[in-house]
Amino acid sequence: MRNRATTPLKVPKVRQSWSKYNLYNLQRLRGAGLANRTFFQQKWAARTMARTYHGEQVRESQWARMFSRRIRSVVPMSASRLAKDDGSAASAGRGSGLDPHSSDKPTSFRRTPFMQMAFAPLERRLDVAIFRALFASSTRQARQFVIHGAVTVNGKKMRYPGYLLNPGDLFQVDPERVMFATGAPKDKQERRAGRVARKQAAKEKEQEGSEEGAAGEQQEKTEEVKEEEELNPREALKSLMEQAKTILSSDKDALPAKRKQELRGFQKAVRRILSRSESSSVLADSLEAQFSELTSVLKAKKASGQEPKRKEHRARQSSNEAAEASSDAPAESDEPGEALTEAFKKAALSDGKLEDEDVSELTDEEFDVLKRALGQLRDNPIDHTKPYATPWRPRDYMSAFAFIPRYLEVNQNICAAVYLRHPVARPGSSEVPTPFSEETNTAAFTWYLRRR
Amino acid sequence: MPPRIQTKLVTNALLHPHSTPGALLTPTCTPCQRSTRSFTSTPASQTRLREKMFEWLNGDGQEFKSHTPGSPNYVTKLTERRQGGQGDGRVHRPFPLNPYFTSESILSEELRNEIHRLVMVEKRSVREVSVKMGVDMRRIGAVVRLVELEKRWKAEKKPLALPYARAIHEMVPVTPLEKNPGEAQPTHESINDLPTHKLTEAQIFYPVSESRQFNRVDAGRVFSGAMALPHSEAEYINKNPTEAILRTTEKPSRIERVGKGDDEHQVLQPADARIPHPQLVAHYRDRNELPNEKAEWGKRYQERLDRDQRVRAERRQKRIRSEEERTLKVRPENSKFEFRFEDVTFSKETAGADGRGTKAPGMRYG
Repeated sequence: MRNRATTPLKVPKVRQSWSKYNLYNLQRLRGAGLANRTFFQQKWAARTMARTYHGEQVRESQWARMFSRRIRSVVPMSASRLAKDDGSAASAGRGSGLDPHSSDKPTSFRRTPFMQMAFAPLERRLDVAIFRALFASSTRQARQFVIHGAVTVNGKKMRYPGYLLNPGDLFQVDPERVMFATGAPKDKQERRAGRVARKQAAKEKEQEGSEEGAAGEQQEKTEEVKEEEELNPREALKSLMEQAKTILSSDKDALPAKRKQELRGFQKAVRRILSRSESSSVLADSLEAQFSELTSVLKAKKASGQEPKRKEHRARQSSNEAAEASSDAPAESDEPGEALTEAFKKAALSDGKLEDEDVSELTDEEFDVLKRALGQLRDNPIDHTKPYATPWRPRDYMSAFAFIPRYLEVNQNICAAVYLRHPVARPGSSEVPTPFSEETNTAAFTWYLRRR
Repeated sequence: MPPRIQTKLVTNALLHPHSTPGALLTPTCTPCQRSTRSFTSTPASQTRLREKMFEWLNGDGQEFKSHTPGSPNYVTKLTERRQGGQGDGRVHRPFPLNPYFTSESILSEELRNEIHRLVMVEKRSVREVSVKMGVDMRRIGAVVRLVELEKRWKAEKKPLALPYARAIHEMVPVTPLEKNPGEAQPTHESINDLPTHKLTEAQIFYPVSESRQFNRVDAGRVFSGAMALPHSEAEYINKNPTEAILRTTEKPSRIERVGKGDDEHQVLQPADARIPHPQLVAHYRDRNELPNEKAEWGKRYQERLDRDQRVRAERRQKRIRSEEERTLKVRPENSKFEFRFEDVTFSKETAGADGRGTKAPGMRYG
């Protein structure tokens, strides 16, 4: 299908997309200008405008068939109110309660915006749901994912973007595609690096049988180890900590290239240190194993004498760490500033005591920093073979479009979501994400009622 | 083809012999405007509209380029600021023209895992967990499914989109898990949503004597076109509202039906029975009746939950049993298929007068 979903600047059209053109058009979008027009013109203009956003990829006749004049709505009920009266008070007297101005009635009455639900049936479509779950940067892209076979519905591959989801359906997109769709694109150097990496991989495959390559590699490794032997474990740990801290720093102004250099340096250092350990499978092991190996090689140990309460808190946090990947974003420090300074003081004190030994003590804080940096290295590595910029970061202008409607329950880790129910309107809010005003949507709804 | 003239400086110096190279780079000549043709001195053609767009993107739009972790970043910030507000993005509206759509919070990772633990490890009922966490029952089910799937993926060592997940949780408002045992868990969404029934969309003028207590049960009967309840029945419902609700929620098949043929439908039940958590209404009734016996409320609440679970399990068992009795299963030797036959009765009741009723056997196959 040819993509006609352009984002012209002359006649601004809002699309289901995260592009910066779309953001610009969205913020300068005004009403359809329905005043001074005939009723027919109003309806025509409104539905033309609304259809550029809602189901632009769906043929008009298709949508006209899907349209439903019945709008789903709910009213949140208060159990305590229901328990208090059986409703007879409201119908007493002449039908509207004995005292219409009593203080018992709710003071603020919020209207249900039914007309904002005019395009609700389209939200059932698989491609739209994928876009709403933030798995694709536009509905067109979501559609492509479906057609290219990257989407499953209830565990079965679904190739039809027009599949209407039913309540309880679980759909899942290939995480690699999601990372590609939502991640920043590669720049020129990264694309080049990717080509080089691919070429090298192909070459290695060719040479797989020959022993020369393997021998050379081994030699390199031993050289590295020799080089490492001279390093003092304490010095190494110190430099490693420095690097870890710079990686996790919240400096926003740092250039991505610079940032990447730092990250690569850290990665190299970790690998060098780990290569000295006895077990050969450390590099592929779990995070915990790597971490313990690293500390044992560097002869680091936890500083003792911390309050047990704080330690518990830390332990809980670090257990969550494994689940939560740390990205480039700054680490949220839940700790108060006092505790931090105290920890540093303690670290300094213990350093002085243990001058003669070859054991370096680490505070919990530092352990945490090291662990987090390692976690980041593992979850968000530099890999030029990926189709997106690595380490992964969200694409520009994504946050302005990031919202997840309540009729979906999304698990971002596995890029899966459940379509819980059909979108509904409730007093004061409607669940269909539409950028248009109620006036526009009302006129568009009226257009699709059969008799115009 | 590469340009013939080597450097820009040389070209420009030839054209303007008196100007210094520094002066040539005028501030209006932004990188995006600069022409690739080194001979021309006119700026590259960029339409006024594009110019305006980039002006906005580099000005007001700058803050939308990247997000600040923990705070949503929507364009309504600008409108708010224009109207003299704070513009700190506390109102989570992504669309400037649509005040009715707000970006609502999602479950935090910890809350999700806690829900999964309560349901799968502690074996609490979905109904109970829903009330405890302030999360819709359907969402509880979905969360459990998704976390189970995630665990399976982790066990299979499939790659997860962890940095992506982290970024999303930074951009979208999140409902956190209350870790302090003394504090109540913040409500995620309203759990007692009453769906608007089709029958209630009509406006009905129904005269009632002023002396009569016209309550929700009566209103439901009027909406569905059923006759008024006999006095004895109405009195029973008035006296034991909790029991009356239990009668309909425990045996939905016993609900009275009215109408004929295709128009036959159940009598509309009052809101107390149709909300997802009718046991909460009973709980509040207890609180109103026994204001000082806190322990008793909890006991009764737990009893009701247990009873509900038991009744539902029984109903499910019964359904499965009757289904098995009805079907004849045949599995031919060396076949991977199992054939299931069900007896059908082709009568006016099942197939309709013209044999084309929606419940007729074979209806779904044409």
